[in-house]
Amino acid sequence: MLIVDNIHAGYGTSEVLQGASLEVQAGKVVALIGANGAGKTTTMRAISGMIKPAQGRVLLNGKPVQGYGAARIAKLGLAHAPEGRKVFGPLSVEDNLLLGAYNHLPMFFGFRSKAAHDLEKVYDIFPRLRDRKQQSAGTLSGGEQQMLAIGRALMANPKVILLDEPSMGLAPVIVQEVFNIIRRLKEAGTTLLLVEQFAKSALEVADYAYVMEHGRIALSGTPAELHKNERMLAAYLG
Amino acid sequence: MVVSGALMGLVYALIAYGFQLTFATSKSINFGQGELVMLSAFFSLSLLNWGVPYWLMIPGGLLFGVVLGLVVERACVRLTLEQKSEGWILLTIIFGLLGFSAAENIWGRDDRPFPTPIPTEAMQFFGVSITPLEISVAVGVLAVMGVIELFKRKTLLGKAFEAVSADRDAAELMGISARHTIMLSYGLSGLVAAMAGILISPITTVGPTMATALILKAFAVAVVAGLDSGFGVVLVGIFLGALESLTSFYLGSGWREAPGLILLIMALAVRPNGVFGKASIRKV
Amino acid sequence: MLKRLLFIRGAELIALAILATIPLTVSNTYVLGLLTLLAIYGILLIGLDVTVGYLGQVNLAHAAFLGLGAYAAGLSVSLLGFGMLGALAVSMAIGLILGGLLAFPALRLEGPQFALATLSFSALSTTVLNEWEGLTMGAQGLSITRPELFGFSLKAQGFYWLCLVLLVLVWLAMRNLLSSQWGRAFEALRDSPIATDAMGVGTYRHKVAGFAFGSSLGGLAGGLYAFNFQYLQPQSFTYDLMVILLLGVVLGGRKSLWGAFFGATLIVLLPNLLSNRLLFEIISGLGLLLAIFAGAQGLKNKTTQPFQAIAPVIAMGMLVVGGYMVENTENWRKAIFALMLFSVVVGLPDGVMGFTARYLTRLFRIAPPDLPPASALDEVLPAQQADSKPMLELKNLKRYFGGVKAVDGISMTVRTGHIHGLIGPNGSGKSTAVNVISGLYAPTSGDILLQGKSLPKGSLFKVARTGVSRTFQNLQLFGELSALDNVMLALKGVYRSPLPLVLLGFARAEEKRAQADALALLELVGLQHMARVHARDLTYGSQRFLEIARALACKPKLLILDEPAAGLAHPDVNVLVDIIKRIHQRGVTIILIEHHMDVVSTLCDVVTVLDGGLVIAEGTTEEVKRNPLVIKAYLGIADDTDVPDVIPAVI
Repeated sequence: MLIVDNIHAGYGTSEVLQGASLEVQAGKVVALIGANGAGKTTTMRAISGMIKPAQGRVLLNGKPVQGYGAARIAKLGLAHAPEGRKVFGPLSVEDNLLLGAYNHLPMFFGFRSKAAHDLEKVYDIFPRLRDRKQQSAGTLSGGEQQMLAIGRALMANPKVILLDEPSMGLAPVIVQEVFNIIRRLKEAGTTLLLVEQFAKSALEVADYAYVMEHGRIALSGTPAELHKNERMLAAYLG
Repeated sequence: MVVSGALMGLVYALIAYGFQLTFATSKSINFGQGELVMLSAFFSLSLLNWGVPYWLMIPGGLLFGVVLGLVVERACVRLTLEQKSEGWILLTIIFGLLGFSAAENIWGRDDRPFPTPIPTEAMQFFGVSITPLEISVAVGVLAVMGVIELFKRKTLLGKAFEAVSADRDAAELMGISARHTIMLSYGLSGLVAAMAGILISPITTVGPTMATALILKAFAVAVVAGLDSGFGVVLVGIFLGALESLTSFYLGSGWREAPGLILLIMALAVRPNGVFGKASIRKV
Repeated sequence: MLKRLLFIRGAELIALAILATIPLTVSNTYVLGLLTLLAIYGILLIGLDVTVGYLGQVNLAHAAFLGLGAYAAGLSVSLLGFGMLGALAVSMAIGLILGGLLAFPALRLEGPQFALATLSFSALSTTVLNEWEGLTMGAQGLSITRPELFGFSLKAQGFYWLCLVLLVLVWLAMRNLLSSQWGRAFEALRDSPIATDAMGVGTYRHKVAGFAFGSSLGGLAGGLYAFNFQYLQPQSFTYDLMVILLLGVVLGGRKSLWGAFFGATLIVLLPNLLSNRLLFEIISGLGLLLAIFAGAQGLKNKTTQPFQAIAPVIAMGMLVVGGYMVENTENWRKAIFALMLFSVVVGLPDGVMGFTARYLTRLFRIAPPDLPPASALDEVLPAQQADSKPMLELKNLKRYFGGVKAVDGISMTVRTGHIHGLIGPNGSGKSTAVNVISGLYAPTSGDILLQGKSLPKGSLFKVARTGVSRTFQNLQLFGELSALDNVMLALKGVYRSPLPLVLLGFARAEEKRAQADALALLELVGLQHMARVHARDLTYGSQRFLEIARALACKPKLLILDEPAAGLAHPDVNVLVDIIKRIHQRGVTIILIEHHMDVVSTLCDVVTVLDGGLVIAEGTTEEVKRNPLVIKAYLGIADDTDVPDVIPAVI
């Protein structure tokens, strides 16, 4: 579904990614883990078109999309819930969700009724959002904002979802909740690429995982394989 | 008199609103907006002279404004925004200069009357003398602003507009093209300028300098109200318009520009983000 | 050294000699008039370049300062009976004072709002000049007699020399200013206003002072303008003139004295060029060729985008074609200015002089002057007493962003002489906490004490002044400045000369001292050989170390290092540890935010662990590593049975 082939990317003079490759198969949850500054978020940004890769290919559903703008890649069926959540603070929760489905809805009128079914589905997953649907998103707590960001990505009915550090800055209880949701998405057959600092939790939900070091993929394997890997154990799982 | 001043203030508010539209999406404004007002007014006058009926002239003039707005975006704004520079300030000033010179040479330097079917005799309301023409200005201003606000709140495209102003990167991730949204905002801002030109011309007459004073006060209104405050401009516009007519009554008409300018500089001293504006957060 | 004198000073001297001797050989009054105007506009544009070039703000009030200065000079002669120098001093003072008054509110703004504020100011001053008829005669205009200079009445030639002398003085003063701490500050605050404030160099005060200084030059030029024409009208100083002045600065080239001079020449000659058909055609043709040449070269070198290359060609093409079509080019004067300005702003952002300067520097490589030997580190960074008293105390510190509680009540104490680690998972509030301490954000509630005294809240500048210095997680270097200049800018306690002495060139000794001190700090982080390299050209690791040296230049009591090892390669991390150890030995208290646990355990005396905006543990590294709460926070497991006994070495 999503193939990243030897991409190089960075900001200004510093090249953060130095030839990273990975693959996400349809219906699978793939985790990307690694130390801070290893290039996980940069990989996500390069895939979704927020930065242009200097080299390499990104294939979405077999189609090369590297070098496209973020809006164009989103239209092709990739949803990216970015690091730091990035909800539209002044807009209401419901408007945030509607905008998630921007590509599928009519521009002017009747978009609310067309989106009603998907909205209900998202509200069923996140009942807390239903309670607060008229509240402006900026006033939500960190955990609620994270749920909104995931819900907004789901609204696009995407082929692939990129989830960047959904646990960032959240209390442990909320982190648990977020991972439960990821598990539910997995059961529903969602294709997911997950960047996570909590390697252990990430490995619990993932079908397959990549470990990043210094802008390259250092290790990969199923969680079971990685649990056996000496290096992995020493560095990330303690 | 104070009431007519306040109604004039609504025109300032309308132009200031045009600044807000582009500032919301791109953090830039068109410093040649006054020339857009003037050029659209001239073009509308020419339409009338070519025999186009009054009510068809309005959409024609508005369309012209939209086109000019788009030209400004393409020629003066897009490149510098991509370079993250403030070159657009200079470039839009330059565009205004070019427009001014073109108008001078194409339509002449003299002020010309702008015909209108709306009666101009004063009527009395509760002891206030007011002309239907002035009322039509107020109605026109509020109608345009109302329609655009409805568009922003009730349509998905309008919400996308708001999304781009809230977080450009995140909006791109939703598939909303920031570039198209910025074009849209410049188009709308051109439309607003054209509307202001058509509304005000019957009162002020049409000439190359018709918008020079107008635009300064629109700037003042936009900055005093805050460049992101929606309807704050209406209140500040009305206030400034009324204040002006009082100043020109008591101090002489030459001083009528003064209160707006003083108001602006003082407001900046007290609240740099405008009376109704939000404080911005610095990021590292 | 000799080469330097020859080329740079030589060009200046030759230009001056030519300008000074023309009136002796040519007795044409018209030419003399043009030359006088050239000198006046030279002063005016140098003043305008301070804001437009060095401060990087679009200033639309300069024409107003010219007018105000002119009226001030004229009135001080006719009403107060002042002589030439007295009147010029008054016009400078008017520019300085009004410039300062405008700058105070206006420079709290950025970009467009600033331009609007200056635009309003100039409209306001035109209104006042027009309407205050009792003083200015309003639109009728004010006639002025040229006063005497030391008892001599000046003829046209003498007045020209006076203008020329003043231009030279302004030129020299400007050069002194730019090569001092002020020039560095101007450069720095365009690169990163946040870092400028955080280094205790007030962004705001430098902007205000720069603007006021530029305006005073505008006032001075106004005085000369008044005595040149001896007749003033308010409408000479409106928006139209302002646009022409901007044309001069931008076309000539921003941030360059030669650029301002070239721009002045252009403005003075332009009316003549436009009135002569043949000349106009030659110039527009040359412009088109230049646009095509520069555009093609930019495209070939891939330094410009297609629009940037094509748009100027179209604009100049319009000029050439339009020139044939219209009957009278003078009527289209403004449109011609507009098209030329447009082409330059889009196609040659550095202006004509910037463009040629790049070629010239490639032709003549001139070595910079030698650096003095480094000072002893003991003088630059005297050892501080490490007595373990509280250095920094946080009391229930909170900072919310909307509904997000980034910091939700942190209390901790950092002891003097300690290296205090601050760790926690991503988003646990570490960065927000140091941003609040260092004054980038004001706290929502809570107290911060430095050595028992309350720290100023919400002002990077004030906090930096009280002795707290920091580095940034995302580097905030002054990329356009050399490594040495980056450190010199932040250097505290060396620059003492007031602005007037700086202008007169008496700050050179200080400058040497500052270079020596800055070199000592560069040596401390191992960058002494990179002193002249632009910060943006340094390797990533060196940039990190340079930020530390710069932070030390503030002579801090407390140094906050925000993830100094982020993105560093392994050998660089070892160098970093050495650097921090060396700083620690000098008794500087350090707060270290870091993800590399090995760095934290090697260096830190005490570690505080944050999670969800709260302190969840504090103690030595070993204690903290065994704390079950910490392990949980790092692994993100709420109900795990097989909790490992140490937290990961690298998180």
